[in-house]
Amino acid sequence: MLKLAWRNIWRNKGRSIITIAAVMFCVIFAVVLRSFQVGVWENMIHEIVGNNFGYLQIHEDGFWADQSLDRTMDLSAVNSEELLAVDGVDRLIPRMESFSLLYHGSNTKGSLVMGIDPAVELPGLQLDDILLEGRSFTRDDSVIVVSEGLAKYFNVGLGDTLLFMGQGYHGATAYGAFPIGGIARMTNPELNKQLVLMPFQKAQYMYNCTDRATTLVVAIDEEADYEVVGATLKGSGAEGLEILQWKELFPEIIQTIEVDMAGGRIFVTILYFIISFVLLGTVIMMVAERQREFGILVSIGMKKTKLAFVTLLENVMLIMGGAIVGMAVVKPVQFYFKYNPIDLSGQMKEAIEQYNFEPKLYTTTSFIINLNHGTIIFFIGVLVSLYAVVKIMKLNPIESMRS
Amino acid sequence: MSKAVIEVSGLHKVYEGAVPVKAVNGIDLTITEGEFTALKGPSGCGKTTLLNLLGGLDQPTSGSILIDGTDITGLSDNELIDFRLHNIGFVFQAYNLIPVLSATENVSFIMLLQDRPKEERLARAEQLLKAVGLAGKEDKRPGQLSGGQQQRVAVARALASKPKFVLADEPTANLDSESTAKLLDIMEQLNREENMTFVFATHDDRVIAKAKRVVSISDGQVISDSAK
Repeated sequence: MLKLAWRNIWRNKGRSIITIAAVMFCVIFAVVLRSFQVGVWENMIHEIVGNNFGYLQIHEDGFWADQSLDRTMDLSAVNSEELLAVDGVDRLIPRMESFSLLYHGSNTKGSLVMGIDPAVELPGLQLDDILLEGRSFTRDDSVIVVSEGLAKYFNVGLGDTLLFMGQGYHGATAYGAFPIGGIARMTNPELNKQLVLMPFQKAQYMYNCTDRATTLVVAIDEEADYEVVGATLKGSGAEGLEILQWKELFPEIIQTIEVDMAGGRIFVTILYFIISFVLLGTVIMMVAERQREFGILVSIGMKKTKLAFVTLLENVMLIMGGAIVGMAVVKPVQFYFKYNPIDLSGQMKEAIEQYNFEPKLYTTTSFIINLNHGTIIFFIGVLVSLYAVVKIMKLNPIESMRS
Repeated sequence: MSKAVIEVSGLHKVYEGAVPVKAVNGIDLTITEGEFTALKGPSGCGKTTLLNLLGGLDQPTSGSILIDGTDITGLSDNELIDFRLHNIGFVFQAYNLIPVLSATENVSFIMLLQDRPKEERLARAEQLLKAVGLAGKEDKRPGQLSGGQQQRVAVARALASKPKFVLADEPTANLDSESTAKLLDIMEQLNREENMTFVFATHDDRVIAKAKRVVSISDGQVISDSAK
């Protein structure tokens, strides 16, 4: 039977190519569509979480729910050695994060102030990579780096001084005056509008938080699973501290992703309906073209069940071939758009920036997407092939041979 | 006395419609082993319908058809297919070969359905193709053969399953004189040498001239039955 089916496929090259191509394009279309949707989120998570905030953060217990400087952690009390010994932990990155009112001339703006040590920071805060002008700072520097949007807002440049006013640890007044040493472009649009970066020690000093930090970002090894690392950290040297995964830190991202994914699923379902009809059309065409052949085979003594099975087997092989080719062919497309994202412009760019997302369309290269859609389309193909089975089982050999 | 291969009695086939058509209207007919019979009559007289009924491709409205003692009107769809596979050979007007199969494969396919061993299938296909004058054309597909050659492949296929008889519906209708003569000679030879029973539905005088028995049909009824 397999041999017979294979021979039919091989000797009807035209029909076989049409069927394989139909399935292949359906798979490519579905995978590309879904890859862009997942890729945009994947990139956003990588950008915001992986490059800027970290997949895991350690705070004083209760800090995230009540983000007050009074809940900063005492770094001297943190058992860093034990935390660093956990498998998958690469380094701990201390940060001092708070808000201050910034002044320049008659302009004021509330801004996010982040005290960092560029030498150990995540890629998104590697200042040399994001500076538009000026220079980075070292631990002992007194200069700051402001985001591009903030510099535009205050209309300031290198060497201009910004005044800071805010509240420090235990109600102390936090104030300072810092010259601008550099202007940087943050990939996250929201951060690009309001972020000020300053040396970690200077931030500690300004907020009256000597030897304290709001956050220890846990940088994990590239191949490590943050969920596993997080679970291990909770059980080692973390008394009095909270260890949060990015999903707990930014639940709004998860909600947004879920809403978008639900919309995407509806769209993909509609696409599947269209694909079903495309594949059904191919099967109907095949049955119509082979009606006479089916009639001959039944008239000379081939059982309808056997004929239906061979035909189904042929279709299964063709659909599987099309799905596999589609899954493979779409791979370079996924890689291309992952590294060469589509830049959005105009109203669409503005709309996306409103949600603080980078206005670029990336694809994911995850093979799971290909496998999922290839498999679903394969099953749709097998399902619509049952049309051929039904037609064969109802076949009247005389009428079929007349067709 | 020769054994009856086909026994038809009181056979009716009515196609329902706005005006019911009595395609076969009370035919009684017996065909014995080794006969070379032509069913003749004008187009629309019911000879193809009768042939389809004899071959179990269609079901009569009433009457019985005994093939080698088995009443095929009582068989299920599946049983009929199986019955055709082992008892009846078909030759159609339009050859009806499988276009994607070679001449050998077309002939041996029916034996494949009978689950015969590969060696036997190939040997018999080769022998039959040789018998119908197609030695050297075994690997040709129907599209690479002339109409006459295709019809000869169809004859070889009809004989491949070792049927009790062969039903041929207008087998020469699409053939030129030379091909017709050759085909008829082959079938006559098979009838003579292997005692194979042939029943033709035809209005071709060349076939009628070769037939040993001619049954004339008109308006679904047998109007004359003469043996030569």
